[in-house]
Amino acid sequence: MKEFIAIFKNELVKTMKRPRSFIGFAIISFVCMVLQAAFYQDGKELLSMVTSQFEQVFSVQGNVLNGNLICFIILQTLIVQMPLLVAFVTGDTISGEAASGTLRFLLTRPASRTKILLAKWLSGLLYTLILLAILGFFALIVSRWIFGEGDLVALNSDGLTIIRAHEINWRWAAAFFIAFLSLSVVATYAVMLSTMMDNSITPIVTVMVTIIVFTIIGLFDMPSFDLIKPFLFTTHMISWRSLFEDPIPWNVIIQSCSILAIHIMLFLGIGIYYFKRKDIQS
Amino acid sequence: MRKLLFVILILLAQHAMAVDDSKLLIREINRKFALVADYNANVDMKFDIPGVKMNSMKGKIFFKKPDRFRIRTKGIYFMPKQNPMQQIGSMLLDTNSYTSIISGYETLDGRECAVVNIIPTGNQSELILGKFWIDKKNPLIMKTQITTRNNGTIETQNVYGSMAKYALPEKITIVVEMKRFKMSKMMTADLNKKSAPKKTENQTEKGRISMTMSNYKINTKFSDAEFTAE
Repeated sequence: MKEFIAIFKNELVKTMKRPRSFIGFAIISFVCMVLQAAFYQDGKELLSMVTSQFEQVFSVQGNVLNGNLICFIILQTLIVQMPLLVAFVTGDTISGEAASGTLRFLLTRPASRTKILLAKWLSGLLYTLILLAILGFFALIVSRWIFGEGDLVALNSDGLTIIRAHEINWRWAAAFFIAFLSLSVVATYAVMLSTMMDNSITPIVTVMVTIIVFTIIGLFDMPSFDLIKPFLFTTHMISWRSLFEDPIPWNVIIQSCSILAIHIMLFLGIGIYYFKRKDIQS
Repeated sequence: MRKLLFVILILLAQHAMAVDDSKLLIREINRKFALVADYNANVDMKFDIPGVKMNSMKGKIFFKKPDRFRIRTKGIYFMPKQNPMQQIGSMLLDTNSYTSIISGYETLDGRECAVVNIIPTGNQSELILGKFWIDKKNPLIMKTQITTRNNGTIETQNVYGSMAKYALPEKITIVVEMKRFKMSKMMTADLNKKSAPKKTENQTEKGRISMTMSNYKINTKFSDAEFTAE
């Protein structure tokens, strides 16, 4: 165990020392601040686009443009982009070392290949967690500080759900947990591809392409796509949104979380299998 | 010819009686409204709006003559643009601004009601037609149907309790016709949901807001700050 912790610490230091890790942190912080500034300036106009459908009949009373809504919009926007940042760091975990020639040196350690891969995978997950923590800080805490607290108007394609302020905090905690699970799938997928390839860029690009293609398939309501959608992990990555429905469809959330967990185990298993049999030439 | 004249005279007499009866009913309601200079009460609001899911909420309502009205509550809620609670009382007060006539009689919840039509006399009025179902025995507005230029038709149904002597309802249900709220999947990034079938997109549905009042306090002369405070 001590040996594993030492490898894990080493991998964590390596991950955090790389400049590209900080690019992710900087992008998340920057995008959050840009969106907050935009909503501060033009939020009411943007909101009227949503409410215009019933503005002839109803007037909406209360602080709609609050920190919870901003966080919902930011999370909804970034959950599609964040996997790219995760893949950017985790996609060359093995392949990067193979390309730079340090992999053979790494494997001269007495630790098994499985332990080395698990340490690298866990450091990737910790990076993902830090990335989400930064998102949570800016999207939720800073937004609440700027825009105030209040009921959340959750935007769904079949209507609006208004979640009362006192029911919201535990939903955010669960939503960020599901977001972490979703990004962990991406991180594990990137690590798996990294064990299969010797080029540091190819796994990152493959993850990006996969997410883009899967997301596009998810956007269209076509009978042929409906058959494959349940098998795409991107379909389940946005199951956090279901927490903001009333009543909460727990069966859908549990099913999605289970599918995400199965994806993680499957990708990790394949990754270990490939890495153990990998012919290290450099 | 004589028969025809006789029928016309009877119809005219009935019309005059209907006008007079409607004025009597309105006068009686205005007399009850006149007893109230201000009021506040606790309110429990329930919403049934197509395409909008929201839990009930509690708050407090404040009213001051002639038409200052506010619901104070922590949270988001929907109200018709022309809030009937704010307007119905003041709408009937200025008896010179409209003509009234009884267009028929209907039974609502076991009460025989006169259906009083209110037609504004001026062309500039926002109101197009107001229909008031007024209890004949104990003049109270049981139901209204207000059609305005900009906001369509709003219907209200009233239930009275201990504050009937002031013509203040214990429960008011506001019914509005509206299109179901819907947003595109692209805008909401709601990949898991299937789009609603097109058939239902343009159908008009009824949205309901019911407000149950309790703990009415009449003529307490509360501060004007209640209408402006955050």
